[in-house]
Amino acid sequence: MGSVPGRAKHLESAVSFCLLAVLFIIGIVIFIKQSDYDMSRLGVSSTPIELPSQPPTLTREEKPALNSLKPQGFDALSETEVYEPENLYEKINGKAPLYIDSGFVKLFTQRFISESDEDLWMELFVFDMADIGNAFSIYSLQKRPDSEDLADMQFGYKTSNSLYFVHGKYYIELLGSSESAELLYTMEQVADKIIDIFPFDKNTKIDELALLPQENLVPGSTKLYLANAFGFEGLSDTFTAQYKIDGETIMAFLSEQAGITEAKTMAENYRKFLIENGAIPKKAIDQSLEGKTFDFYGTTEIVFSVGPFVAGIHEAENQQTAEKAARLLANKFRMFTEAVSDE
Amino acid sequence: MSNKENNPPRRSRRRFLARAGKATVAIAGCGIASYLLYDPTGPRPGVDAEDLVTLPDFSVPLKPGQTMCVVQGPDRTKTVNKAIEMLGGIERFVNSGDTVAIKPNVAFATPAMLGATANPQLVAEIVRLCYKGGAKKVIVTDNPINDPASCFTLSGVGKATSQAGGKVVLPKTHLFKHTTLIDGRLIKNWPIFYEPFEKADKLIGISPIKHHHRAGASMSMKNWYGLLGGRRNVFHQDINTIIAELAMMVKPTLVILDGTEVMVTNGPTGGSVSDLKRANTMIASTDCVAADSYGCGLLNLKISDLPYLAQAEKAGAGATDVKSLNPIVTTVT
Repeated sequence: MGSVPGRAKHLESAVSFCLLAVLFIIGIVIFIKQSDYDMSRLGVSSTPIELPSQPPTLTREEKPALNSLKPQGFDALSETEVYEPENLYEKINGKAPLYIDSGFVKLFTQRFISESDEDLWMELFVFDMADIGNAFSIYSLQKRPDSEDLADMQFGYKTSNSLYFVHGKYYIELLGSSESAELLYTMEQVADKIIDIFPFDKNTKIDELALLPQENLVPGSTKLYLANAFGFEGLSDTFTAQYKIDGETIMAFLSEQAGITEAKTMAENYRKFLIENGAIPKKAIDQSLEGKTFDFYGTTEIVFSVGPFVAGIHEAENQQTAEKAARLLANKFRMFTEAVSDE
Repeated sequence: MSNKENNPPRRSRRRFLARAGKATVAIAGCGIASYLLYDPTGPRPGVDAEDLVTLPDFSVPLKPGQTMCVVQGPDRTKTVNKAIEMLGGIERFVNSGDTVAIKPNVAFATPAMLGATANPQLVAEIVRLCYKGGAKKVIVTDNPINDPASCFTLSGVGKATSQAGGKVVLPKTHLFKHTTLIDGRLIKNWPIFYEPFEKADKLIGISPIKHHHRAGASMSMKNWYGLLGGRRNVFHQDINTIIAELAMMVKPTLVILDGTEVMVTNGPTGGSVSDLKRANTMIASTDCVAADSYGCGLLNLKISDLPYLAQAEKAGAGATDVKSLNPIVTTVT
């Protein structure tokens, strides 16, 4: 009687089992995927109603640091809450995209209530923004005018019920339940504790800030737009600052590019963008700014490049003052680029 | 003896045919099973059509010249009373024996003075007015973004409601049902906070006027966002359409838009008292599109700055031409 040779038979069986195993695994994967499909994306839903999800909890390393910030005479009013990009909207709703687009990593919040007065409580927000530039951007874009700078802080201010400051990669807010001097003082103590507890290399700086001329600079007016400055997609990492010149307030801007060629190209692209959006080239008073000056719906816009920097003046009321400010900027950048090339 | 002698060709063919037959049967079996399991229509909604709900229509009959009232004054209690009086009095809106649902903006667990939530004294006054009008029961409810209990407690709305005799209803899973908005593009088979409203006869919305980073402004139409359940943040991608659809979905009895202190920047959460500007304006309206069209001016916005207003008007949810409604404008010192 004939038979398949033994070795071939075993090989056949082995191959068959492997194929069956692969098919089985495929089936399991399909089953798992289908049982957890988010139908609501298609406008149909078989998922149960969801109430606000429970936020992720602190790690064992994070917990002690925040608990230690509790001020004397205060109790913890709530558990520490932690939010990540996926659920940040559950805490700050419509503001979430502002943070997420600026490099947001994690948010810790904690409330403390006075032991002697239940109407006195505060909430601490610690936003991890990944680096000092991102933290400064969020801080600067939301800075309240007419606020009081915090002493001994590079970037910090207070209002009648709240404190805001940058500490390394962290952007921190302390919001009080009332306009109470006592509460404000306590929040300042919490701020001091934060500076002690959260490590931060004090030598970390935002180099571009030193590039802005200090003469006539309105203190605390500097802002950082990480992307889409003035609505132009190409203009990222753009600093703006206000200057008081001849009684007028002028907004200057600067953005460092990869090199001289890139800066020239970016300046040209931004000028094209302005023209596409209704800007009209106009004659400059200063010949060096010819071809770089525009009338933008009755205001003056100036765009130029020096070395690797794109810079200019945005929506100035007075052309003469705008050009004066532009010259100040250009001179500063020329000095910087010459100093760098001398090194 | 060789293999060929052990496996004559006729036996190999027989074996082949047997195996081929088995394989054919197996394949045919898979094919038949696939045919039987095949669903040509695709996934069906998780909720059958007959289980979808529709929010009741809480609107009252229109009265020309009494659609909207704007009252200038610093005291919320006085201005809201005046506004409702000028629209025909609370009796126009609340009948004896009514169950009234009040839906204030209690989205955040922040103190009242920051203006991110409805003012608790204002909510309390509306609760009192409803009882004065003969209401049998007044509930105050919202589905906040933050933890509901914290929101009602820390905003002061919970305490104010209780002191005025109202009942706070916090959202629970079993209080939600699915709905589909006819002519809607986004609200399709979506869970909404339903049961407290199903049993109500009247619905009053109360909201502050706030800058909103995403939407431009948060006022009476945006207040209905609190009725949405599920992962409602997905609608942020098309914020104007969702706000317009909310105005189509919800037909309130009355909306109170509180412009006494307006959050002009850093909305919708604010955080500093300096984010607020005193505008001393109270708006009461049976048309929330009109209310918001007036209110946006207090944020130095034009109607064209908020596309959802025109979208809602186009869908028939209200009017942006406030002047055509002949609003009543008055002052209370």
